[in-house]
Amino acid sequence: MASTEAAAAPGLALPPLTEEDLARSHDRSRVHHARRHRKRWYLLWLLVGPGILAMLGENDGPSMIAYASDGAQYGLGFFVPFIPVLFAMAYICQEMCMRVGAVTHRGYGELVLQRYGRVWGWFGAGDLTLTNLVTLVAEFVSIRVGLAYFHLGSGVAVVLGLALVAFTLSGGRYWRWERIVLGLALFNGLFLLAAILVKPDVGGIVGALDFTPFPGGSFNTLLLLLASTIGATVTPWMIFFQQSASADKGMTPSDVAHGRYDTAAGAVLAAIFGIGALVAGAALLTHNGSGIQGFAGAGFPEALKRVAGGAAGTVFALGLIEAGAVAILTISASTAYAAGECVGVSHSFNSSPGNAYVFYAANAGVALVAAVVILIPGAPLLSIALNANVLATVLLPVSLVFMVMLANDEGLMGRWVNKRSTNAIGIAVIAFVGLCGASYGIDSFLLSVHLIS
Amino acid sequence: MKAPAPTIKAHRDPLVGETPPAPHERFDDEMVMDLERDQFVAETSRPVARATSALWALRVFVVLVSLMVIYTFVHQLR
Repeated sequence: MASTEAAAAPGLALPPLTEEDLARSHDRSRVHHARRHRKRWYLLWLLVGPGILAMLGENDGPSMIAYASDGAQYGLGFFVPFIPVLFAMAYICQEMCMRVGAVTHRGYGELVLQRYGRVWGWFGAGDLTLTNLVTLVAEFVSIRVGLAYFHLGSGVAVVLGLALVAFTLSGGRYWRWERIVLGLALFNGLFLLAAILVKPDVGGIVGALDFTPFPGGSFNTLLLLLASTIGATVTPWMIFFQQSASADKGMTPSDVAHGRYDTAAGAVLAAIFGIGALVAGAALLTHNGSGIQGFAGAGFPEALKRVAGGAAGTVFALGLIEAGAVAILTISASTAYAAGECVGVSHSFNSSPGNAYVFYAANAGVALVAAVVILIPGAPLLSIALNANVLATVLLPVSLVFMVMLANDEGLMGRWVNKRSTNAIGIAVIAFVGLCGASYGIDSFLLSVHLIS
Repeated sequence: MKAPAPTIKAHRDPLVGETPPAPHERFDDEMVMDLERDQFVAETSRPVARATSALWALRVFVVLVSLMVIYTFVHQLR
């Protein structure tokens, strides 16, 4: 690791400096300047990032298709209020990650490994890598679905995804990476535009806020629906990503309030854009929308084009490309953080590839492997994409439990530990999300072995 | 001179081999080059102490659900 010895300030021994320290110090100097001069909006601009990226990154291709599919199959009822409730739950979880990252300056994988043992640390990182790999395949498929609307194939999807990863990694600074991805993530708003273009009945959307009608069907169908919708909102990679990114950004306890604004803004935007996809999909409810499921070709953009015009189809297709692309960047980054933290080497966008080779190799490597998979002729892409959530069911409850334990660890967090009210809400959320996830995994297993039908 | 026996505080302290204050308590007001002391790579590279949690229920959950999920995943890929 590059190291520079500098003169110590009187009374303070200066630790050996790395290039990571210098880059972070530069970013922090702007934060301190903004805070000293009471430039509130500039300070907010400097401190937002990890929360919005985690939330909008989770509004990825498969998630937006899941929302649109819910709308096309069941209409607006139940889901219009359910999506904001889910993002409120996601806020509870992500706020803890941000706080732990800001107070300890350490990533999630690193803390779990050191605090609870190597087995848990490596299990978390290993399962995360596998789950992320499968999810990344689904993201490339999502880009391919979007591009198919414009008559472009898998090759273009692969080149586009990998070029974005290479471009964002070339900045050499966390700040540059974050701003580029943040800029791209705001195009998630295309789904809101798609919703406007289908000219929805506003009264119908407002009327759906009473959680009715509750979706019908068998217990399995309902569980699958709940699990896939929850899986579209809270996932293990978000936990790894936001804590590590908060630490990499250089956030401190004095930034926790802004971290909460950032996370809340991300949750609100993600909920609005998610409802956008739902409303766009609901336009197909009376046009055989239930026939369009999963990754059935370029079904949604084409169907929207027929029902609501070319502009709606085009915007939805562009939205899928954006959602897949942003998720590729954030999910690859979460894998890289987990790998670097578990191996115990430099894991920061503020380090050069020469100093943080594991971090950069994991970041590009996981995206590359996923890209190769979608180019394999006859690869079971549909099964892989649909089963990403099944794999996540093992890690999600475990990740959530460790997250609450870390946020309650007085040795690490001191006065920043969870309050009783946060714990009460957090544990209830985690119990609900974990139970749904685990039930989904167990239910899928019982279906596979034909113990239930 | 004999070294003092480790205290309960030393056991609970998250930093290995030393008994400095916890990360949130250290250097709160010290700022070096716009970074808090515990933000430097040299500081964050120091491991935190192991917590003593058995987590048996979580282990059983992981083993059982892992087996089921792996089987399901492989089965559905066919």
